[in-house]
Amino acid sequence: MAGMQFWDWYGDGSTYVVDVGLACCTLEFEAASYGRTSAGIVRVEDLPAGSRVVVVISGTVTDKLTGPVVTIVSRIRAAVPSAAVVAFGACASAGGPYWDSYSVTKGIDQLVAVDAYVPGCPPPPEALATIVDELSERARV
Amino acid sequence: MSHGAIRLIEANCTSCMICARECPSWCITIDSHTEPIPDLPPGARERTTNVLDRFAIDWSLCMFCGICVEECPFDALEWASDPVSGVTTAAGLTHEIEELR
Repeated sequence: MAGMQFWDWYGDGSTYVVDVGLACCTLEFEAASYGRTSAGIVRVEDLPAGSRVVVVISGTVTDKLTGPVVTIVSRIRAAVPSAAVVAFGACASAGGPYWDSYSVTKGIDQLVAVDAYVPGCPPPPEALATIVDELSERARV
Repeated sequence: MSHGAIRLIEANCTSCMICARECPSWCITIDSHTEPIPDLPPGARERTTNVLDRFAIDWSLCMFCGICVEECPFDALEWASDPVSGVTTAAGLTHEIEELR
């Protein structure tokens, strides 16, 4: 498997965010991650022990792609059992405008447990920053 | 420019269903019933009015195209400034009248 790009979201090594970019919502992830630090780590197993990890599934999941998506999430959760999965955007949440398509998965919660849903088509970058804050308990600090 | 949520102005809604039918992603659900209009003049034929029971937008399907806002003949839908915030359950992505105000 190709490497994953982990973002040291706050630059302090507390929270690593990885984007599974499948469609246009990934552009909003890129906007949200702009100016943040790439951890320079491509294997989830190489993250420091006890790291908080957020996996962002951004974009349309087609039925053909369910295998790789499940593999990525399973591998991350095997290494970091507490890893949170975010369904970013309407497609990842429930299929979005493609809910009636023969080839689109109607939400990634059919495949893996999801910790947060961010609606929007696409959601604004601030919505991702907000949900990562909440998942990392920054919002309550 | 990023979009906000879509807001329902309940008093303007006539349950005409135009928004629900024009929506490309079929994310609007409307339930309504009719009630007789009271105080008609003596001998007048009974007339009815629509009463909105349920108006829901499923934000997990909405693509924020704004066609519903454009098409509503009664200006019962408008853009809100804040986006729909993230939630922890899939059911929380469907907003009813109370949350759409």
